[in-house]
Amino acid sequence: MDNLERRLKEDAAVIEAEVSPELALRIRASLHAAERARPDERADNAGFSLWWISSLTGVAAALLVITILSRNADVTPETPRVEPSANIVPENVPGNDVFMPLNAETAELTGPLEEELERLKSDLEKARESVERDLRESF
Amino acid sequence: MTRKPAESDANDERSDEQLADAAKEGSDAAFAELVARYQERLLRFLLTRCASRADAEDALQDTFINAYRYLASFDPRWRFSTWIYRIGIRNALRLARPATGAEVDVVDPSADPLKDAIRASDRDNLWLTAREVLSADAYTALWLRYVEDLSVREVGDAMERNTSWAKVTLLRARNRVGAAITAQQGAAEGEMYG
Repeated sequence: MDNLERRLKEDAAVIEAEVSPELALRIRASLHAAERARPDERADNAGFSLWWISSLTGVAAALLVITILSRNADVTPETPRVEPSANIVPENVPGNDVFMPLNAETAELTGPLEEELERLKSDLEKARESVERDLRESF
Repeated sequence: MTRKPAESDANDERSDEQLADAAKEGSDAAFAELVARYQERLLRFLLTRCASRADAEDALQDTFINAYRYLASFDPRWRFSTWIYRIGIRNALRLARPATGAEVDVVDPSADPLKDAIRASDRDNLWLTAREVLSADAYTALWLRYVEDLSVREVGDAMERNTSWAKVTLLRARNRVGAAITAQQGAAEGEMYG
């Protein structure tokens, strides 16, 4: 203990702090009237309820995860059937001079064009017949 | 205490913690012994922290009532002194900052419970010096460490601060009080030699 500590102790000891009989009586009376807070039943119940609720939530979450996982395990991942939309053979490959037609499933898109082509062919045929008829009549 | 209050037993050699344990089990005699052991120590401390002796006595009474009510929350791993001082400090602070709208006792500003409580001495009391040069927290830390012999960690616990704070605060407090003593001595010598 150094000098400062010793002086602090000595000087604290000379502070007069005698508890008067009246104060002692007052303290005793107030303690007599005081009710001790029990490790509160309500707090206990609340704690138990919270524990119970959190446990249930945890179990429910675990069950949900297990269910989802097992469902996913039953279903084998379906590989989508891939149909080649086009067989493109590069033209510069030696020996491959056959150009494979496109098998694109674009009927909906090409339908109007094909109809137009048919109409043009028909017009062309009519025009050719008309020219031939004119030539026959002329000569 | 709903039962008949028990008188303390001056020959009870049980430790504070053993008494607190017995009081938790329902022994009012054990609690009465704790009150007997701590009432003067706590009052001495509260006189240094409160604005009047009446406030200090109120804080002392409230401290014992709170300790009795909440004894179930006392953790036996703590020292009882740490726990009871923690309650005492809170009560002193509460009285220092009355709630809004609360009835406030008019305190004579010239009254100083610490000065009144200091017996006539041939030299200045160091705790009066300490109060002048230290903050309230540093003062309390110094008191708990050197009067109550709490460890640095226990000082931190009692003041609801961490150990590092307690360590630094105590070091600075010692330095300040030491410097104040040196200054007082220099002034006294100056007066002596004209």
